[in-house]
Formats: sequence, structure tokens, C-alpha cells
Amino acid sequence: MSSLMWYIYDFARKAWADAFTNAHTSSEIAEKPERFRDFPKVNKEYCIGCGACTVSCPSPNAIKIVRDEDTEEGEGLTYPVINPSACIRCGFCAEVCPTDPKTLECGLNHLILPEFNIIPSKRQFIVDDYLCIKCKKCMKQCPVDAINIVNDKLVVDQLKCISCGECLDVCPVNGAMKGVFVENLQAQKDLILLCVNYLEDYINNKEEDLRALQIDGLLQYDVPLSEIWDKALKIIPDEEIALEIITNAVNRLKIRVIDWDKDKCKKCQLCIPDCPTKCISFDEGEDTIVRDKDRCLRCSICYQTCPFSVIKYFIAKFSLEDGKIIHTTVKASNLNENIFME
Amino acid sequence: MIVPIGPIHPALKEPIRLKLHTEGERVVKAEIEYGYVHRGIEKIIEGQTWQKGIYLSERVCGICSYEHTQTFAETIEQISDVDVPVRAQFLRVITNELDRIQSHFLANSTFFKSMDHETLFMHVLELREYAMDSIELLTGNRVNMGWNVVGGVRMDADERHFKPILENLDKIEESFDRVRALFAEGPALALRCKGIGVMSKKEAIKGRAVGPIGRASGVKEDYRIGHYTYDDYFDFKVIRRNEGDNYARTLTRFDEIPESISLVRQAIENIPKGEVRTPANLKSGYAMRRNEAPRGEVTYMIETNGNLIKNISIRTPSIGNMDSCAKYMIRDVPTVADAVSTYASCDPCVACAERVAITNEHGKTAIKGFDEVI
Repeated sequence: MSSLMWYIYDFARKAWADAFTNAHTSSEIAEKPERFRDFPKVNKEYCIGCGACTVSCPSPNAIKIVRDEDTEEGEGLTYPVINPSACIRCGFCAEVCPTDPKTLECGLNHLILPEFNIIPSKRQFIVDDYLCIKCKKCMKQCPVDAINIVNDKLVVDQLKCISCGECLDVCPVNGAMKGVFVENLQAQKDLILLCVNYLEDYINNKEEDLRALQIDGLLQYDVPLSEIWDKALKIIPDEEIALEIITNAVNRLKIRVIDWDKDKCKKCQLCIPDCPTKCISFDEGEDTIVRDKDRCLRCSICYQTCPFSVIKYFIAKFSLEDGKIIHTTVKASNLNENIFME
Repeated sequence: MIVPIGPIHPALKEPIRLKLHTEGERVVKAEIEYGYVHRGIEKIIEGQTWQKGIYLSERVCGICSYEHTQTFAETIEQISDVDVPVRAQFLRVITNELDRIQSHFLANSTFFKSMDHETLFMHVLELREYAMDSIELLTGNRVNMGWNVVGGVRMDADERHFKPILENLDKIEESFDRVRALFAEGPALALRCKGIGVMSKKEAIKGRAVGPIGRASGVKEDYRIGHYTYDDYFDFKVIRRNEGDNYARTLTRFDEIPESISLVRQAIENIPKGEVRTPANLKSGYAMRRNEAPRGEVTYMIETNGNLIKNISIRTPSIGNMDSCAKYMIRDVPTVADAVSTYASCDPCVACAERVAITNEHGKTAIKGFDEVI
């Protein structure tokens, strides 16, 4: 009993001494040097779970994305967890983190801003399985034997590839071997979007031609590229790269066009429940049917449903010639005919 | 009788198995078994970009981690035709020599610990702390500095870093002579070191001993001679001895420390102004470079494809040193205690020596020497 009393007395005395002297734990006493490269700090609440930090990490098992369990209040947070015994404090995860403010912070002492890029090469060569005819010309042409057959498919080994581009030159199929520019992906997406919007607007403006078109008939236009060329160069200044991206995009492009003749419409509202994205609605004030173009998938279900053939459906294909003129071919769909035949 | 020491043992810093064949008290033969801390760093580096590879190469060795990043960076610079600014080269020399000072102090203190002379062990570690403080001041971290990048160094340094470094070097020099004399001229230690674990020059060349261990036996190899920065801007003396025993190895390391201090002083005095980094673009190619780490030569062979590191091969000094220690030094040693101190005198670093592991269907088999690897 006396030992227990002594223990309590000693504990109380120590606690009093700690409070009186304002004592700290050792981690607070130790000062970090001015240029210390510290572990990254994690701010859980900003994470969007994109996984860029795990891709950029050179060390195996150093960083892991976890998700808390869901509670009654809401969904669990997703955030990265850093393993201090495997982390090598390079700071790449903080460098690539896309959120604002950053989920991962590492301070200014890492200084990796000018040099870090996950893929430093400008161009990456990839085989498209769907279009490849396995003629193996690229395999014979490759100077470093980087193209191999894996599971009956031609695959480019990115470790061996030296980005010379000879496989692209010998490939007989348009689009089977792709040389993807990896530097400015967002600008490339903007450029492709510009092309698609321009072509779709061009066809939509030819309403009269489209309505006069018979089944199995064809419409042909020559669309000049020069109208969007200046805008394209503003997005990507290099002329060669811009032309190649436009060529690749246009040659494989297939636009579906839906034409809506409002004079014929009987307002039966059969198309409204069938639409998968709910983009067709009935406006009671003006007594018309309204279609939201931005949400429309061009799936053609409304065209197949409509009993009065108010809606018409066309498919347009393109090819770029000499880098100046886009040959456009529009064909009316004959899906509806087949359904009525049955 | 065979006396096994390790893999876990108070006399060893890192896991390794030392088998001592004894006849009575006398040790006649020794074997070393590797394979306890193989990590496969080369395999992890393959397929990564150089920015990531340089941070991983730093983890090959614990004590002399600096020279690995410098050799990696110089190899990539040789492939990509990058010229490093002169100021960056001088900053690399300062860090390299400070790293050499602390590594030699640590090796010597471990040797004194293995001889159970704790006073000298503490004195030497106290001196080492000044070098560690200088490294921490300059680069921010004590061991894994992350100081080198391809094309230069990470940050610039100025007068408020150089002045404390010079003060720290003064403090080392104040008590250095006293500590060295305690070892070199004191009767207790010198009697236990002289004539123990003798390795001749021929054996050192045959066993591929490099660095201070090779130079203590008379081999004249120092890869700082032939390095472009040292050749163009610096003067220094290569320390060599001919005895090849424990005493010579420890004293060689002691005598190299003043040379390193004078190199740091020369660098701080003559450092030019200018940039510390140039931007680099990786080209495809193959290059090999060797540099003088505190323990001897470090060799890097790197093959790149203009994008990623395709193949990398690292050769560290410790494998040759430890192998020649087992073959030639512990061959006729009076006692088991002397065998352990002989092993400590060759400055073993097991983690950087284990560059390869051979496995068969029964599991891992240990490698018993350098020749099996080649």
C-alpha cells in the first residue's frame, strides 16, 4: 500500500513539475535545419483520388491511397497515406499533385520545378489492336527490336523504343500505328474539339439539303480547312504537329447528325420516355417539344420510336486531302426501313 | 573448429555471417556468407526516369551515399553531353570531401570499438559530428543529402554557409593531431594493431582491394586523379603505406582526413561565381563512369533509350574489400578477437556490397565470394 501511495505522490509531483516548467516533448525541442528536406504533409480534405502521386513515386510501397469507411454523415474520405520507412523524400508526389490548394505539400527545399516530367519523351508509339493487320513490316523496320508479339498482338516495348518514328512511316494501314504526342495533351483535346464542332455546325446548317435527301442517297461537300486554321495555330503553334493531329482526328471521325422537322411534329410525346439521357422534354408554355443538343448522345432511339418520321438520322464521314480540303460524305440512315419491313 | 559470428552479433554493424576456422586460439581461415540484405535496387531503377533513379541510387549505401548520386549524375551527363557549371563542380567537391571526412571518422571509430577502446571511439565520433553539422548546414540533411541533380547541384550556397563550415574544420584540426597521436604512438593500441591481418600488394591486386584498404597495402589507385574537376582545379597528395596491416589501414584513413580538409578549404577559397544548374535532356546511349568514394571506386554503367533507364549496373568498393579481407587478411591471426578487429579494419559495408542474389528451386543460396559473381 505504501508503494502505491508513493507512486501516486511521485506521479503528482512530476505532473506538477511539468506544468510549472512548461516542459515539452523531444520532437518539439529539436530544431529542423534551414534546408531540411522533410516528408510530405497530407491535407486529407482536398484529395480527389486521382492517383498521380502513386504514379510519380519512385519507391515501391511508399505511398498508398486509402478510403475511409462510409458513415451516416456521408461518404468516407479518400486520401494518400505515406509510409515513412519507405518514403525517400524526393517530393515528386507534391510536384504532380493537381489539386488547388495542394493535398501533398513538401516545402521549397526540394526544388524540382524545372526538371520534373513523368514522361520526358515528346512522342510515344502505340499499336492499335483494332486496326492492325499484323503484316509485321514495323517489326522488320525497327532498328532496336522494340516491337514484339505478345498474345498474338504487336506490342511496342517502351523501354527499348528510341522514338525514331520509322515504324509509323512503313505502316500500310492508316491509324494502326499511332505516334502520340505526350507533351500537351490538353491542347490536343482542345484542337480536336474545335474540328468536331466546326464540322458538325457546317452540316447542321445545310437543313434543306438534308431534308431532301432520299434513303440510299449521298450528299458530298468540300469543306475548307482554312477557316479554322488560324484558331488551330493559336492552340498549338507548331504547324506540322497541328496538321498531323487534325489529319488523325478527321480521318477517323464519324459524326451522327439528328435533324428535327418541327412543322411535322404531332406532339405525341412518345420519344420523351425512351430517351436514355432525358434530354427531350415537353415545353407546356410554348406547346413544343424541346431537345437539348449538348446532352444528346445521338443514339438514334428517338428516330426509331417516332411514328411520323419527324426525326431524321444521318451519318457523316470525312477525309482530309492535301491538308487543305475536308471531303465530307453524308448518308441517310436506313435503320427505320428495316424495322418496318419486319 | 568453426566459430560462427553473425548474422546478428554485437561486433557487426550489418548482417553478415563470418565463419572463423580455428586451431586452438589461432584463426587460420575465414569465410564470408552474403545474402541477408539484398534489396534489388537496380531492378527497381530499371524503367524509371533519371529524375527518380538518382534518388534511388542514393539508397544503395548508407554511409557514403553521396558519391553514388554524383556518379549517377555524371554518367547521365556523359550520355546527354551536358556541361556542368564550374561553381556546381566546386560545390560537389566540398560535399564529397566532407562526406569522406565523416566516413573515415566513422570507420576508424568502429575499428576502435571492435578493439574495446571506448575512449578513442567517443573522441573520434565527437570529431565526426563537426563534419556532419557542416553537411547538414550545406545540404539540409545529414546522411541522404539529395544534393546532386543531373546538370549541377540542387541549391546555391553562399558566405553564410561557407563561414561556419570553415569554423567547423578549424575545430576538427584543433584536436585531430592529439587523437591521431593517441592511436599512432600510444602503446596499448599500436601493439595490438601492428603486424595483424597483413595483406601484401600482390594479394591486394588479386583480391581487388580498392580505396584506403588497397592503398594501405601499396596499391596506387585513387580515382580522384583523372576526374576532370580534381585534375583542373585542385592539388592533393595520395596517401600510401606499405605495411598492409590493421595499423596501416587505420592510419591511411587518418592521414587522408587533413588532405580532404585542405581540399574543402581550396574549394571555398577559389569558388567562382555563376550558375549551379544547367537544364538537361536525356539522350539515348551507354556510358560507364568510376569515381572515388570514401571506401574506394564506385562504378556505374547505365544504358538509356532517350526516355527511360534501360539497364543499370552498379559496382561498389566493399565487395572487393570484404572478399580480400576474408581471403588474405584473416589467414593467420593470433586470436578470435583480433580476427573481428581485422574485419572491422577493412571498413565493411554489407548493404552496398550485396548487389546480386542467386536463387534456385530450394530458395536462396548465399554467395561465397567475388569470383562466383563474375
